[in-house]
Amino acid sequence: MAISVPLHQPTYSFFSNPQEQWKWCAKPSYSFSNNSQNNIRPIKASVETPPFPLFQNPKLEETPADGLEPADPDFYKIGYVRSMRAYGVEFKEGPDGFGVFASKDIEPRRRARLVMQIPLELMLTIRQKLPWMFFPDIVPLGHPIFDIINSTDPETDWDLRLACLLLYAFDQDDNFWQLYGDFLPNADECTSLLLATEEDLMELQDPNLASTMREQQKRAREFWEKNWHSGVPLKIKRLAHDPERFIWAVSIAQSRCINMQVRIGALVQDANMLIPYADMLNHSFQPNCFFHWRFKDRMLEVMVNAGQHVRRGEEMTVNYMHGQMNDMLMQRYGFSSPVNPWNVIQFSGDARIHLDSFLSVFNISGLPEEYYHNSKISSDEESFIDGAVIAAARTLPTWSDGDVPLVPSIERKAVKELQEECRQMLAEFPTTSKQDQKMLDSMKEPRRTLEAAIKYRLHRKLFIDKVTKALDIYQDRILF
Amino acid sequence: MATLSAAWMYQDRGLGPVDYSDDFITRKPNFNRFQTSFLGSFPTGILQTRFRLNNLLRRTSSVRRIKCEKNDELPEYVSVERPPYYSYFDSASGQLEPASGARASIPGEEYWPEGTASRVRAARAPEPTGESTGSPSYGKHPGSRRKKYKASVRARSSEVSVESSASLEPEVSEDATEDPKESSSEYVVYETESKAEGETEYELDKKLGRPHPFIDPKVRKPIEEPLSSEELWWNWRKSDKEQWSRWQRRRPDVETVFLKAMAETGQIKLYGEHPTLTETALYRARRHLFKEERLKAEQERLERIGPIAYYSEWVKAWKRDTSREAIQKHYEETGEDENTQLIEMFCHQTDREYRIMMGNDIRIKRDPLAMRLQEDQIKQIWGGDPVYPTVNYIQDPDEVIDYRGPDFHEPTPNMLDYLKEHGKVISREELEEILAKEKTEEVEMTDMDEAMAQAVDIGEKDEEGEDSDLDADADDEEEKITRNWSVLKSTPQLQKSKAKPKKDGPMSLEEAVDDSENLTDFLLDFDEED
Repeated sequence: MAISVPLHQPTYSFFSNPQEQWKWCAKPSYSFSNNSQNNIRPIKASVETPPFPLFQNPKLEETPADGLEPADPDFYKIGYVRSMRAYGVEFKEGPDGFGVFASKDIEPRRRARLVMQIPLELMLTIRQKLPWMFFPDIVPLGHPIFDIINSTDPETDWDLRLACLLLYAFDQDDNFWQLYGDFLPNADECTSLLLATEEDLMELQDPNLASTMREQQKRAREFWEKNWHSGVPLKIKRLAHDPERFIWAVSIAQSRCINMQVRIGALVQDANMLIPYADMLNHSFQPNCFFHWRFKDRMLEVMVNAGQHVRRGEEMTVNYMHGQMNDMLMQRYGFSSPVNPWNVIQFSGDARIHLDSFLSVFNISGLPEEYYHNSKISSDEESFIDGAVIAAARTLPTWSDGDVPLVPSIERKAVKELQEECRQMLAEFPTTSKQDQKMLDSMKEPRRTLEAAIKYRLHRKLFIDKVTKALDIYQDRILF
Repeated sequence: MATLSAAWMYQDRGLGPVDYSDDFITRKPNFNRFQTSFLGSFPTGILQTRFRLNNLLRRTSSVRRIKCEKNDELPEYVSVERPPYYSYFDSASGQLEPASGARASIPGEEYWPEGTASRVRAARAPEPTGESTGSPSYGKHPGSRRKKYKASVRARSSEVSVESSASLEPEVSEDATEDPKESSSEYVVYETESKAEGETEYELDKKLGRPHPFIDPKVRKPIEEPLSSEELWWNWRKSDKEQWSRWQRRRPDVETVFLKAMAETGQIKLYGEHPTLTETALYRARRHLFKEERLKAEQERLERIGPIAYYSEWVKAWKRDTSREAIQKHYEETGEDENTQLIEMFCHQTDREYRIMMGNDIRIKRDPLAMRLQEDQIKQIWGGDPVYPTVNYIQDPDEVIDYRGPDFHEPTPNMLDYLKEHGKVISREELEEILAKEKTEEVEMTDMDEAMAQAVDIGEKDEEGEDSDLDADADDEEEKITRNWSVLKSTPQLQKSKAKPKKDGPMSLEEAVDDSENLTDFLLDFDEED
């Protein structure tokens, strides 16, 4: 799985100014628009005047500064040949992995626009419950892999099943995943914590998460040992010669699995699906796109939200998991985000702040499930308010009692107490956020998992930091 | 393949000294295509090859047969025009049309069945171009074709190495070719600014989902002249055969008959010869409105000019001045107010005028159109005489009229005359006459046996008896026949059977004249009379 975390500004900020983030306005294609009427293939100008004067030396190769290049053309071609389609998007690869980017502007329309469609034949799908149904049905009847899959627990072992299926698909001739597997992150690139070493888990600075991950690793290894012992037939043995391969498969299965309720035939089922091109979409808390299962011809459609204005070069994102903290994201997908609006800090004590005034200070509106920053109210550009502030609004202990006004002194006291708690929490960490940042910058070629772990704790500290700052601002702007 | 080889041989024979090299060149790919299409075994492919073969055959044969008048050598290769064209631009519609068997036009996207649009879009999506440098590992090395993996193998650098620039070019060109082709897709916008300027408010409305008319008012074409009922293809054309029953005729309705009459007199103009429902409704509404208008006008006139002036229209004898001032003056003079003067005026009105004014007399026609309606039109609406309906009953012109006589309605006819007429009763004198004739024969008859008397004998005695009998019968019959003398005259058989036994010998003239009823007896066919 690829997270594209751009270098400085988080993608997940509410005011995403693409001008700031993408320093290089993707493609040099203003010559397109001139030639589009003539349908002439535009001549690639070797020298383009860059839109920003930052680049004094125009590059001969069209490489964006943030390292995004178009993916291997075979990537789309192998899908195209098998009737997968991508409309108006292209796959780009950056230092952090693959991403899906819009290749043209999409107007805000009243209906969701189709961006990608992937037929069922390319996927690896297992029904979550018994009886297991595979779509497409690649597991032959007597194959021992089926027995392995059968031996898993229907409730909990969906990732192991998917991993087995994935490995089997790699082994099966003329299976699409043999070709597509070349574009999956390999064991070095995969950031999932299943592949993390002890040292990385230590770096998490989160004992709960670390223990959870250890359990997961143990579980996967045990499964491998149970089913790939030396006595198994070669059919099975060659699927995963070593446990690392199996654990990698499990990590891929966990991080790239899409759980959807699909209707195939007459049956509506919960399915765990590994879907080739749709798993290259990255995560965002304000996603562009969503998945839709088209029952008629059994295609997964990736559609842009209705009314969503997408600019050229903007990243297409999906919400992976809704309403989970960073540690869940980390556990399952191997990434974390500083602006997760569902982050939770456990505050102890009785200090409470007034919810309504906190929300109004930051112009956050909506129901508690769906807080959002209301940009209509706030006139000035506030880049401070992002998901972290929303998360703060959720996790800070608050009180709200109809029209009862707040008592300023109590409020201030409460704010001070909460800030004190945050400071304490920050102090409990062995390193500060600055140190973490420095460590990240200084590491030359960090292991992915190490990098992810450090980022995880960095994001946690940043979050607490942000909460503190938010409380400061709240204190300033509170109306009396 | 046999046909193919035959074609080739045929061509070889015909070529001779003429150089058909370019023809070969153009045909060679054809040949390859033939082969592939045969191998592919598409039926359409075979048809196409046969078509092309026919073209080739025709072409070669036509080329060979070119002969000039001057009988020159065969000139250098005259490039015969390539036979058409599997499609051409239709001169009528301006659209591309296939040469063989044009089909109906394919409807637009709005009419496609569900799912077609997505399939079409999938089919239209451009193929990815671009060559990849890596090769698949078929499951052995997952992640082997990722760029970073490759780059990490050769010392990673912040800028992309030159080796991968070669792979960049085709990739970028892939994006380039994708974009212009995909520019035809619906949501492609390259420069939002320019499109926003060129966008009309209609398009803006449409895009933003605001209420808008169906068709862009600038683009919309006005409705042309509607086709006549003959041109409309869904029009029910009247069959050529006449109606086989009068029940198939148009049912008359008050409105339609009125409108038809009005159209005949030129008051209104109908679209066809019969008024349609729309026209009927329209004119009915108009009539109603006109009537209301007229009534209002009349009322207004009454109010304006005063009742005396108004009603003086129906009082011809009132010659005095009826204006308001005159009435006022009269009032001042004589003290008779308006009502009294009105009564005074009405005393001068005649009965007929009164009835016309009130409009209660049915003998006085009030509806100007009804005055002008023709008889059959009136009969269509209101029917004819209810006792003797003439229009609604179908009359057979060949029918023999059932005429019962002038006193048909007499409840009991005169029985005696009736019986006499039908020959059931004869008068006493006739009876005595007959009996007198019968007496002589009875004497003769007693000589013979009864059995003999019963036998039919063509003896002399019997003849006389028969004669007298026949005479008596003939008299009666003649009496009877005189009523229907036409029947008698038209059936010559009757005449003959009566006439022949009468002749004993050549009759004298007086006897013949006495025998005959009138001179028409002698109008028989003289051939048959010996």
